[in-house]
Amino acid sequence: MTETAPKPAVTLVDIFALFARIGLTSFGGGLSAWIYREVVDRRRWLTEDEFLAGLTLAQILPGPNVINISIYIGQRLRGSAGSVIAALALLLPPMVVAVLLLVLFRNFSDLAWLRDLLEGIAAAAIGLTFSVGYRAARHATRSNRWAPAILALVFITIGVLRWPLIPVVLCVAPIAVLVARKTKKSA
Amino acid sequence: MMRDDIPWQLVLVFTPLSLLSLGGGQSVIADINKQVVDLHGWMSQADFVALFAISRASPGPGSLLSTLVGWRVDGPVGALIASLAYFVPSSVIAFAVSRIWNRQQRRSWQGVLEQGLAPLATGLILSGAFTVLRSSSGTVSLWLIVAAATAVFILWPKLSPLPVLLAAGLAQVSVGALS
Repeated sequence: MTETAPKPAVTLVDIFALFARIGLTSFGGGLSAWIYREVVDRRRWLTEDEFLAGLTLAQILPGPNVINISIYIGQRLRGSAGSVIAALALLLPPMVVAVLLLVLFRNFSDLAWLRDLLEGIAAAAIGLTFSVGYRAARHATRSNRWAPAILALVFITIGVLRWPLIPVVLCVAPIAVLVARKTKKSA
Repeated sequence: MMRDDIPWQLVLVFTPLSLLSLGGGQSVIADINKQVVDLHGWMSQADFVALFAISRASPGPGSLLSTLVGWRVDGPVGALIASLAYFVPSSVIAFAVSRIWNRQQRRSWQGVLEQGLAPLATGLILSGAFTVLRSSSGTVSLWLIVAAATAVFILWPKLSPLPVLLAAGLAQVSVGALS
């Protein structure tokens, strides 16, 4: 079995180290953005298209999106062992931290400064996700001239109008793929 | 209810939610809340809110809430059972789909599919961030932090996010202390 696209040599240890680090340092949510930044921007283990296709799958499948995208990335890089390692490395270390916090602080939500701290962190994490959205949008627009229309359609229906995600994705996905195919042929 | 039943009850609560959490973990938090507080009476609403706050304060995925609920209900065993029941079923599906998707040689239609899905996924990323932003308390300082952080992360794509996040948290604490 040969891969058509040459992949950089990523070991299981590399996968474990990266996902454990993301799991332990990703405060404030928006983990998909953290993973995108590390895997696509900084390490180039995956292309933007590969990551975004995985993210679409991760979103429509049941289960937490970040766990699903980790399984997808691990699988892509190192097969089944890679996917198990990626998911466990992302989950187990922060799980220990969460339980420790639970044991140590019983009245967590009463501390006003802590609430402010977490709110500020979460706001910056939203900024992180917006920046990844911006970069992904610039990339998608370069390769496909219908991309802005598809992007706007999804953002307005799901983000602004709050239509349910699954039916929208199931309707838009075939259209998006068809126009991508046409653009490619005419190019 | 018998104490011995609790591990089994945790499985019955979390396994269906794992398979039903379409579109991500946020979609089932309200249901977890209802089941553990109203239906089973395992904890008070204040208790649940505290667990939710801890899951937000911890690094890692917000769905670690399931682990915390398990721990509060039945200690380490409960945490283990709730985590397995919540994370394993959906992960098995993701594993199977990834395997099929990444199987053997890449075909050209997969490239087309990936290219077609890229703008769709981008729309989902932006929608997700926008939804979280709308559900935040929405003070002026928070909007400024979002704007500043977005600019910083766009301008320096290789910058590690952690110092930026900590600075944002401290900025919000100082705003809270001043007002």
